[in-house]
Amino acid sequence: MEFIQKKSTDNAVEHFLAKAADQEIPLAWDRYEGQLPVCGFCEAGLSCRDCLQGPCISHPFRDASKKGVCGKDKNTLAVQSLLRLVIKGTMSSLDLVADLANDIVTGDTKPADKAAADKALKEIQAIFSNKETASMKELPAALSKSWKDAGVYPEGILRDLFKASQKLEGGVAGVEETLLWAFKTALLGNLAQQVQKKLKRSVFGDIAPTKLDVSLGILQKDVPNIVLYGQISAALKQKIAGIAKKAKVNVFGVCTDPLLPPYVFSPVTNYGSQEIPIMTGAVDLIVAGDQFVNPSIMQVAKDWKVTVVPAAGLDKEKDLNAFAKKIVDLAKKSFDNRADVPKDIPADKQTAIMGFSSETLDAAKVAKGLGDGKIKGVVVFSGSSNVKYSQDNEYVAMARVFLQNDILCISEGEASVALAKHGFLNPKMEGIECSKGLMGFLKSLGKNVPAIIDCNATEFILALAKAGKKATKDYPVFACFPEANRSIEVVKAMGMVAMGVTTYFWPSLPVTGSPETMKALSDVSAAKFGAKLHVVTKKLSAPEKAKLFLNEIEATPSMSGKDW
Amino acid sequence: MKVIKVDPEKCTGCHQCELWCGSEIASIGKELPLAINEEPQPVPRVYVEGKKYAIQCRHCDDAPCVKACPNGTMRKDPETGLIYVHEPTCIACWMCVMVCPFAVINPSPTIKVAIKCDRCRSMGYPICAEICPTQAMTLVDRKDYRKKKFTT
Repeated sequence: MEFIQKKSTDNAVEHFLAKAADQEIPLAWDRYEGQLPVCGFCEAGLSCRDCLQGPCISHPFRDASKKGVCGKDKNTLAVQSLLRLVIKGTMSSLDLVADLANDIVTGDTKPADKAAADKALKEIQAIFSNKETASMKELPAALSKSWKDAGVYPEGILRDLFKASQKLEGGVAGVEETLLWAFKTALLGNLAQQVQKKLKRSVFGDIAPTKLDVSLGILQKDVPNIVLYGQISAALKQKIAGIAKKAKVNVFGVCTDPLLPPYVFSPVTNYGSQEIPIMTGAVDLIVAGDQFVNPSIMQVAKDWKVTVVPAAGLDKEKDLNAFAKKIVDLAKKSFDNRADVPKDIPADKQTAIMGFSSETLDAAKVAKGLGDGKIKGVVVFSGSSNVKYSQDNEYVAMARVFLQNDILCISEGEASVALAKHGFLNPKMEGIECSKGLMGFLKSLGKNVPAIIDCNATEFILALAKAGKKATKDYPVFACFPEANRSIEVVKAMGMVAMGVTTYFWPSLPVTGSPETMKALSDVSAAKFGAKLHVVTKKLSAPEKAKLFLNEIEATPSMSGKDW
Repeated sequence: MKVIKVDPEKCTGCHQCELWCGSEIASIGKELPLAINEEPQPVPRVYVEGKKYAIQCRHCDDAPCVKACPNGTMRKDPETGLIYVHEPTCIACWMCVMVCPFAVINPSPTIKVAIKCDRCRSMGYPICAEICPTQAMTLVDRKDYRKKKFTT
């Protein structure tokens, strides 16, 4: 690793970067540098390989190759680059909900609330058979209407996924229509995520705000450690945790849902540094899901003699109980076999409160706080991490600006883990500076409320709209994806915009080659949903990015009618 | 004198050299997202031709374009030996375009000057060779290059 750019702002991770360089262990950062410079056509969305007549490009500087073989011009290529990501992301969302549904149907997991589970399962059936779901009927009427008027109301996989995907196969849809198809597909993905939350609640009960520890320091050297990587069947996670607890084996997580009551899968690190826990020498076994898991962990695991068990292989494990027991036994065996492997566990550890929900975060108070001017706005952090930025830097630097400017911050998923590692989810708020106004407001929300609140963004936004009796677009609420990475995050971002939440997304979506698509993400979205998806191509520092939000919040008409 | 050696067996025709030359050298914005949407369209100085071969000005020792230029616009830098266009005096006669044996001089459609590679005179290293993903283009001494060509 020769570049001087700081790879990570996580001190625990930094310690291992030097070690990896010394021992010539290639990590994600090295592979990223090896990839540079990336293909400019693909980065700008000006390439296509949907058929075998290509691959095609639209050359911005040569008149001869402006259109693909089939006639797709730069605008079509760019908007379809976006649609392609959204389709993949929606499939990721559907896979999550289908996994959990399957766990229930097969009897691998028994719901605590069978009636609620049956209701959610019916919704899933509706999604797969193009019928309206209960979740859609629960939406604010104005929001449903705006989606119906725009033609993006989710109808189910036949239209929202299969038909949308055919736009890539050919046809004459223009930029605006293709963009609306992308929104339609994204809304199906978001619907699947909401149903998944309902199903999870029915199985595991309500999630209460839970105290847990995060970061590499939670690994222990004298006890076997299993780390679950990526999205894994909730039933399997539950069984592993149950058996492991009795066998005195630790179970942690990376890029996996940390809260499945009564079990907690404390995050050891986040996406960008997923190879690093292995280098501590303390990980004995990894259960590897698919989404969010780098294939590179296999090589790093080999170097540290760590057993890797794929969670969802081609030969589906029929008996989950036996599979879970096998995993725990393998972990114990691995621990014994790895006694000679030196352990280097950093002391870095942070306490975090995760798991707020619409039940425990009073949206009415937030609506009132916005109305009274106690808080100027709300920013929702989402996304994961991206090697193109100093890991966690964008989150941390932007959060610091928001917290000092009376802006309530919500975070979800991997964004929460990134912020938690740096103390933003710790109710003690050590080293975290909030403005006086925001501090007072956080105290009014309850005891042990940290500076940044981990809560599902969609759930919070819908609750805010209901509580405040206003459309979401009328609140100074913004979504921030500062270090986005996966296609499922693109789906979330599009969903935010469709709900009326103006969204900033970094790095730039692959649409920069088409001014028409970038304009549509602004103008068409604003016209149909009252919110924009900003594609910012200018190179800005994190505080400068935060300023974009402050400018927008200040430009939003005051809710109280009073001057700030 | 250093020249760009092009290895046709390594060139994949990916057009990255054209893209980067266009944005870093030819454009005003200097960054791809800005350069893509600029008017007039930036004109790269390197050309990916035929069965995948990237070609740019060869900075000939005995340059026909310098001889053909009627008013000394096409010049040879005495220190580096590089041939460059002194744009303020170009009268757009296109004599250089016609005589170039490699056809790598382009009459600019908009600003009425001859456009050609100056091997990134103002930069430390030619951008096309720097970013070529397969190292099909490398900067070598012209003497060294000839040795490789004729002594094997």
